[in-house]
Amino acid sequence: MKITFVKKIQLDGNFCKKCREVQDKINAADQNQFIDQVIIADERDPSSPGMVLAALYSADRAPFFIVEKEGRSPEVYTVYFKFVKEVLGQKITEEDQLKEILNDNPDLDFL
Amino acid sequence: MSDQILPIVDIDLQLSGQAPEEIMAYALSKFKNIAISFSGAEDVVLIDMAHKISPEKVQIFSLDTGRLHPETYRFFEKVRDHYSVKIDIVFPDTMALNNLVREKGLFSFYKDDHKECCGIRKIGPLRRKLLTLDAWITGQRRDQSPGTRSAIPVIQDDMAFSRPQEKLVKFNPLANWTSQQVWAYIRQNNLPYNELHDKGFVSIGCEPCTRPTGPGQHEREGRWWWEEATAKECGLHEVNTKK
Repeated sequence: MKITFVKKIQLDGNFCKKCREVQDKINAADQNQFIDQVIIADERDPSSPGMVLAALYSADRAPFFIVEKEGRSPEVYTVYFKFVKEVLGQKITEEDQLKEILNDNPDLDFL
Repeated sequence: MSDQILPIVDIDLQLSGQAPEEIMAYALSKFKNIAISFSGAEDVVLIDMAHKISPEKVQIFSLDTGRLHPETYRFFEKVRDHYSVKIDIVFPDTMALNNLVREKGLFSFYKDDHKECCGIRKIGPLRRKLLTLDAWITGQRRDQSPGTRSAIPVIQDDMAFSRPQEKLVKFNPLANWTSQQVWAYIRQNNLPYNELHDKGFVSIGCEPCTRPTGPGQHEREGRWWWEEATAKECGLHEVNTKK
């Protein structure tokens, strides 16, 4: 299995807010060991590797994870807690998952 | 899941120039296990379109947060009767809701923000329902909130709610329509509608979090008005994925 972590640099040169938050969570949970490569999607450069991957996998938000397993199509995860639960097999709370989904998709509360 | 592998971005380009009825017809033709998410508002047009295309295939679900207006509950019944359809009403997890109310009371959203309550009353049940589907259809439109919906495609790969190792496809057939177009359709086709619209409500949600809006006000101003505009629009910057 190969895991790629794609983080976004904004026009102002800083990592996006969620990229920083997710990186902090990864560090705190000692999950860097599971990530094979980190790729940058630089908003200032549409041809940067991360921007190309975002287009390739139709990932509409950052950060995201690409999980490649032999003989299977790559899976893309835009929800960190979903990635942790389904790929790393670690336990997470329902509350954390729902909060992340709603934070990432503020339009959902209109349903 | 449909046996066809969908190149979503390409299909979106193709469908985005088509009428909502054509997008709906495409969605219903490609997926068997597909359902309309009906909020009890003007998204009734989705049910009407689907019913005209393929009445036997229409699957509908609604999220009952427990805090909807009586008018909305009556409207669910009206729609059931009008189209002779079943509506799958989805409820919040009892334990999660019980914990929230016991710890924070019935109006915590006025003190904190609406997200914790929405998470338990809407997003949790929505996720539970979507885990049973291959595709879903919403009434989301770009004009509903320029900040958060301006990039809504007519078809998208729903990565937030998909089952492990599987795809969930989300259709937004009304993405390119304006509120005026939706209401023109409702009137021209004499559709039933939620009586709250006659009382000045444009956007309809839970009773404590929805209020009528005045002329010139954006419909979003009728929801969570006690929260700052910036907080309501705090979605993350999106990666530009246009090819």
